[in-house]
Order: sequence, then C-alpha cells, then structure tokens
Amino acid sequence: MAFAVRSLRAGLRSCSRQPTAARGIAPPRTALYAKRALSSTPTRRADDKDSKDSKSQPADSPAAKETPTAAPAPAAKASKPAAADNAELRESLKTDVVPNEVQGLMSRRNPLKSTPSKSQRQAEARMLQTYENQSNFTAEQKAIFDELEKEIDLLDNAVTEATAVPKKMKKETFWGEDEEDPDMLVEDIDDEEPADDDIMSMAHGKLEEFREYREYARVAAWQMPLLSKLTRKFEPPTAEQCLRFRYTTYMGEEHPAASKVVVEFSPRDLPLNAAQQLKLKKLLGARWNPETDIAKMSCEQFDHQAQNKRYLGDLVEKLVAQAKDKTDMFEDVPLDTRHHQIKVRPKFPKEWRLTEERMQKLEEARQQSLLLDQAKEQGGQLVDGNERVDKFFAEPAMANLRIPERLSVKKSSPRASR
Amino acid sequence: MATANCWRCLGRPSTHRLLAPSSLTSFKAPTSVAAFTTSATLLAKDDNSFSMKGHVRTGKRLVLGKKKKGRGDRSKPPGPGERKAFRKRIQLSNDNALKVSGLPELEAQKLVDPAAVGQIVSLPTDLVDQLRTVEAFKPTQNWGLFRSPHMLVRKDTVDFLGDLTKRVGNKETVRTVIGGERGVGKSMLGLQTMAAGFMNKMVVINIPEAQDLVEARTDYSPIPRTTPEQFSHPSYILKLMQAIRSANEEILSKEIVKLEHIHLPVSVSRNSSLASLANATKEPEFAWPIFNALWQELLQPGRPPIMFTLDGLSHIMRISDYRSPSFNLIHSHDLALIRLFVEALGGKTHFPNGAAIVGVTTKGNSLKVKSMDKALEQAAADQAGLPIPERDAFYAKYDERVFEALKGVKVFDVKSISKPEARSLMEYWAASGVLRMRVDEKTVSERWTLAGNGVLGELERASLYVSRL
Repeated sequence: MAFAVRSLRAGLRSCSRQPTAARGIAPPRTALYAKRALSSTPTRRADDKDSKDSKSQPADSPAAKETPTAAPAPAAKASKPAAADNAELRESLKTDVVPNEVQGLMSRRNPLKSTPSKSQRQAEARMLQTYENQSNFTAEQKAIFDELEKEIDLLDNAVTEATAVPKKMKKETFWGEDEEDPDMLVEDIDDEEPADDDIMSMAHGKLEEFREYREYARVAAWQMPLLSKLTRKFEPPTAEQCLRFRYTTYMGEEHPAASKVVVEFSPRDLPLNAAQQLKLKKLLGARWNPETDIAKMSCEQFDHQAQNKRYLGDLVEKLVAQAKDKTDMFEDVPLDTRHHQIKVRPKFPKEWRLTEERMQKLEEARQQSLLLDQAKEQGGQLVDGNERVDKFFAEPAMANLRIPERLSVKKSSPRASR
Repeated sequence: MATANCWRCLGRPSTHRLLAPSSLTSFKAPTSVAAFTTSATLLAKDDNSFSMKGHVRTGKRLVLGKKKKGRGDRSKPPGPGERKAFRKRIQLSNDNALKVSGLPELEAQKLVDPAAVGQIVSLPTDLVDQLRTVEAFKPTQNWGLFRSPHMLVRKDTVDFLGDLTKRVGNKETVRTVIGGERGVGKSMLGLQTMAAGFMNKMVVINIPEAQDLVEARTDYSPIPRTTPEQFSHPSYILKLMQAIRSANEEILSKEIVKLEHIHLPVSVSRNSSLASLANATKEPEFAWPIFNALWQELLQPGRPPIMFTLDGLSHIMRISDYRSPSFNLIHSHDLALIRLFVEALGGKTHFPNGAAIVGVTTKGNSLKVKSMDKALEQAAADQAGLPIPERDAFYAKYDERVFEALKGVKVFDVKSISKPEARSLMEYWAASGVLRMRVDEKTVSERWTLAGNGVLGELERASLYVSRL
C-alpha cells in the first residue's frame, strides 16, 4: 500500500510536470503512428473520426458563431488527448483519493512551473497523511518508507533539474557581435534619423556641379572681357633677341621641372659666317635639328629659373666663341645628321586635282577610247580571248590534222622511192 | 548459321529480316526494332561513324615504336638534280596555246624604230637558238604559255637600243647598267639587247646568273702568276666558251687568229678561226687561258664589236663566298671572269671596235649593296646633270672597288609600260587563248591600273597567272 502511495505521488508529480522541449534544439520528430509497409488505403489516425466530427461542425456556421459554448475547434483538439489520459488516472484513483484534491493537482496546466507550489505540496502531504492514517505501519516499515521517500525526492530533484526550462545561454556568435568593442567610436556617429524632406547626396552633388558651371559662366561673361584691356601688340624679336627662352609654370604647384628653362635658337641668326655656322652645327651635335635648322637646349640643374637661364646664356656665348675660334674649324669632321630622320609626308599631287579642265580632258580621253573600241569592233580587230578559244574548238577537227601532208612527205622521201 | 531474328527478342519474326541479313552489320538507324527487348543493344558500329575514331584529337596522340604503314609516296624519288632541272627548265613553246598569225618577225631595224613601239614581234628561229644558247631566256618568264616566242617592242627598248646600236656603230664603248623597279622587265630588256647584238653581228657574251659565280657553287682554281691572286671558274668558263662559240659561230668562224699564242697549252695555228680557238679544248683546266686568248683576239682592231652582258649585278659587287688558299674570303672582283666584266664596265678595258657592256640589276633576288646603290645614284645624278650625292660620311663599309667598277657608267631606268603597249600585249595574250576576256580600253585600263600603272610583271601576274602551272 505504501508503495502504492509513493508511486502515486511520483506519478502525480510526473504528471503535473509537462515535458518541455529544450530551447534551440528542435525536438526529434517522432512518428505518431507506425507506417504501413504497403497499403493502398489512405492513412488515417485512430481519433480522426472525432476530430472530423469536431471539424464537421463548421466554424463559420451561424449556430457555432452565435453560441459561445461551442469552443473553437483547435483548442478542443489540443486538450483532447491530455483530458483522455487524466480521465483514466481519475478512474484508477477514484476509490482512494479525494477527488477535489486530485482534480486540483491535475488541473495544473502551467508547464513552465515545474516545481510544485506550496498549496500543491500541502495537498500532497494531506493526501499522504490520509493514506498513512488509513493504514497501519510499523516503525521499521516507516523507516524503510522514509528512506525510499528520500531516494524518490533525490530522483525527483534530478528529474526536475533535467526537465527544467534551460536558462538562456549567452550565444558566442561567430563575429563576436554581442561583445562590446571598447575601440569603437560611437560618439561621432550621428544616429539622427534621416530627414525625409531632404534630397539625396547625389542630387546635392549635381546641384553643386550646376553652381560651378554658373560660376564660370559668370566669370566668362563679366570678367573675361576685361582681359582685352591687357592686350599688347605683337612685336617680332629683333636681331639682338635671337635666343628664345621657354619657362614652365605649374600654377603654384611644386614640380621637379618647375625650374627648367629651354632655349632655342637658329645658328643662322647668330653673328657668324658660313664656316662658323657649320662648325657651330657640328658642335651642337644632336641638339641641332637639320630639318628646321633650330638648336634646342635645356637646363634644370639649378634650383632657380634665373640660374638656369643664366647658365644657358653663358653656354650659347661659349659656343659662339668656340665657333669663331679659328684654330680648328673641324673641316675633317662631317656634319652628322643621323640623329634626325626626315619624314616624307606624301601630299596629294596638284596634277591630280579634279579641275574642270582636267575633267574635260578625262571625258575626252574616255570618249576617244570608246571610239577606238568601236572602230576596232567594226573592223573586226577587237580581240576576245573567249571568242578565240570557242572559235578554235568550233572548227572541224579534221581541219587541224595534217596527216595527209605527212603521208605525202613520207611517200616522196627518197628512201621510200627506193 | 544463326537466324536473323534475335532469340530473346519479342519482336515478331518478319520477312524483311530474313531477306536482308546483311543489314544487321550496317545497323545505323533501326527502323523496325522491337519496342521492348531484353537483349543487349547492338554495339557494332559503322567504321565511318565519329565515335569509332576514338578521341577527338586522335591525330595528335603520341604513337611510339610504330612506323606508319601504307603512308607516303612509294614511287621512285626524283634523281639528283632532277628537281632543279624541272624548276629551271625553259619551255619556249606550248602546243596548247593558239597560234597567233599576222605578227611581224623581229628585224634589227624593228628594235630601234620608234614607229614599232607597241608592236608584238615574233622571234626568228635562229635568234631563238642563239638566245637560248647564251641563256637569255629566264625560267621566271612566261614563254611556256604561248605557241612560239613573241615579244613586245616597247618604248624603253627603242630608246635604249637605238642609242646603243648607234654608238656601237661609231665604235664607242657603251657601258650601261639597266635598273628599275621589280618586275618592270629589266631582264627582258637584257634579252632584247642581246637580240640586237646578234642581229647587228656583235660577239655576244652573256653571264645569265651572276650569283652562280660568287656563291661557291662551281669549281674554282687559282690562276698562277697573278698579282693579286686571281681565280678562275674552269668548268663554268669552258661552258661559257662553248656557248659563245655556238651562239656566235657565224661571226667567229670568219675571224682568223692574229696573235701568237705560244703560252697556250694547246697549239693554235695562225690561220685557224676564232671559232676553232674557242673550241680548242674540252679540258676545264685549260679553259681560262684559252678564254683569255679569245678575249685578247676579240680586242684586236678590226674585229666585230663585243656585247658583254651580265644579269644580277649586285651579286658581283660584294665579297664572294669563295676562299683563297689562306682561307680569306675572295673579293668578287678577284675572280677572273668577273674581273674581266668589271674592268670592261668600269672603262679600264679599251675596245677599239666598239662594245656594249651591259649590267642588269635584279630586284627580286638581290642583295642590298650600299656601295653599288650609292655608285649608281651618283652615276644617275651625273647623267642627269644634277649635283652628285655624297657618300654617307658615317658608313665605313663602302667598297672602293665597286665605285671603281661603276665609274662613268650610264644608268638606264626601265619604266612601266604605257596603256597602248599594255593593250597590244593583252591582245596577244587573248589571241593566244591565255587571257580569256574581251580586250577593250576598259579592261586594259583596269589591268594596267591593277599592275601598278603598267608594271609588266604585275600585269602578267594579274592576267596570266590564273592559267600558269
């Protein structure tokens, strides 16, 4: 009997506790019914008929809608199996247990509440008390029961722990998103919501572009005409200004070639006679262009343009002095022009231009050639290759053979006559 | 014998299977296959089917240790020299071509007559033999397309030969180099010059391919007691001498030996003709002394004028591929025969009877010889009365001997032909049945323009090469 009590208690507790699936882990899908190996009939649940019946009461039927007693079908369906189990239990406990208390125990529906509440424990104790009062146990038996009860409690605790709703574990995500990043600057980020009345940044950029166009258009319209005030008349360089310097500016930017100065001059413009000019050309070497007769030199070895220019000026003076030096006029050295390839650019010949006169001449030539062809054709002198060949093949074959002649030659030969 | 019907096949035995059992072997698209069968599919396939050829790149599969059988030509390979003989053969007639009647025969007067410009003339048989003997015809020319050899008398021919014959008639020495673009007819003008030489009773000596003499193809031997050491081509000279004799037999047989030839290895009697002197030996080792003796005889006053022509001038203006006994490369001008020509061209030889020394340049098979180019450029400028272009001061490899050899020569530049000349030529081609089209002004103008404004070789290429073998 005592066994029965304890087992009853254990059973009650286990019943009161609805197993919950561990979070995050999908519960193994168990087959609700044994699959038939081979069947042609459609599968159906045993209680399908009931559910069908409950379903057969159409939810949208006016009677169902009107009567609040008719519970919605899914709720009824969900409670059904549990209610059936409890009914069996109730049946078995009818004789011994106070129905109210059992009812109260069975009515515990909260699955999350695993540990029994105070009232439940009291109910339990009371129920056990009634059992103990009804039956008489010896001290020994009681001791054994207590021991058993302890063990059951231990077990019960273990089961409770195992089936408890697991605590929400802090996920260790792959990227560590949940971790706080001490290095991240969050103060600067403007968390303000974007204003709905503003345009996109690209549109702002486009606007800025238009503003720029308009700005330069204004400059072109208003300021640039004023530049004409600064114009100066071109004065060709005089005989004294035979050197042409070229400077480069990079508009305020730093550039390694900013201090570079280039000088160009022609040996013809310098105060030299022909022999001295030739010597100067030989001295200039590859810096002299034989096609344009212009020498070109540059200097960028000093930091300032003025220094470079000074150096170039001095160099030209030195060259002129050397060219005038009569001690060695380099007469034995040929002028080297191998550094320069003169490109010949063919131009459309003047004679080929289709002037009216030439067109007339061409037309005449064409007419003459037509006339020539006509005359030849009329005279039968026009030669046609195809025609000749066809004519040759059209001739009778025997006309080409000279067999009779050969035979006659043979006959007339002296040997034959002998 | 197995039945034509498949044993396990569910198809009904039918008559057409029995009738055509051979169709089983060439089973490509079975039209009457049973719809359902448990027998294995027929895997025997047509040999020609793609799948039997193995991999797509079967041809590239490496096959080791096996010789391919049944491949290659099993016929007898051509003998030594046969291929070259075929390549170099000169065919002067073709019976498949139509006969062109009504064309005049070539005369000496025709080649210098301005009225004959644009005429097609036939070559007389004797002249053809002579020209053939001196190898004036080239394998690259298209003689083999026509019934008999004909040629066009063009303006360049008349200009060049008119001047040449007149001056040679005045016992002057004409030293000319024929130049011009590739395919304009330089060698053809050389042939016409030789024809004029034969018809004007000149002794014609021709070196048909100068490169034969310098590319170490023929034997050579040093000539003793010469400084600087000279070399002769014994076999070549012997052949050349025989060609000279047979081509000019009519003239040479009339001329009698005048000089004493004691030093000659063969005895030459005083009253023998020059033809017999040229025919005095068949030994290559005596060829050069006898050729030299013949040359000396020809230089004697009262002899007929000499015409010495050479084709491929640039080849002799360089260092040859022959080597001296000390294993130095021999300069072409140290080869005796070439030296003879070069001295004649350079004006070192005195010709009392008048002579025509003509060097023909080639553009197809030629070397770039800067010295010759510059020398000819200078000669042309001198001829035209223009300032003479100077040599490139920075080119160190100018050959002074080349400038010596070409000193004072006249340069004759062969130009392209005019449209009337092209028309008469094309009419001849059409009449021969080679050019199968109507020859009128339009087609002539078309071809003439296609041929680079009348470059003769290109005109032939545009018109004749369709039918050339």
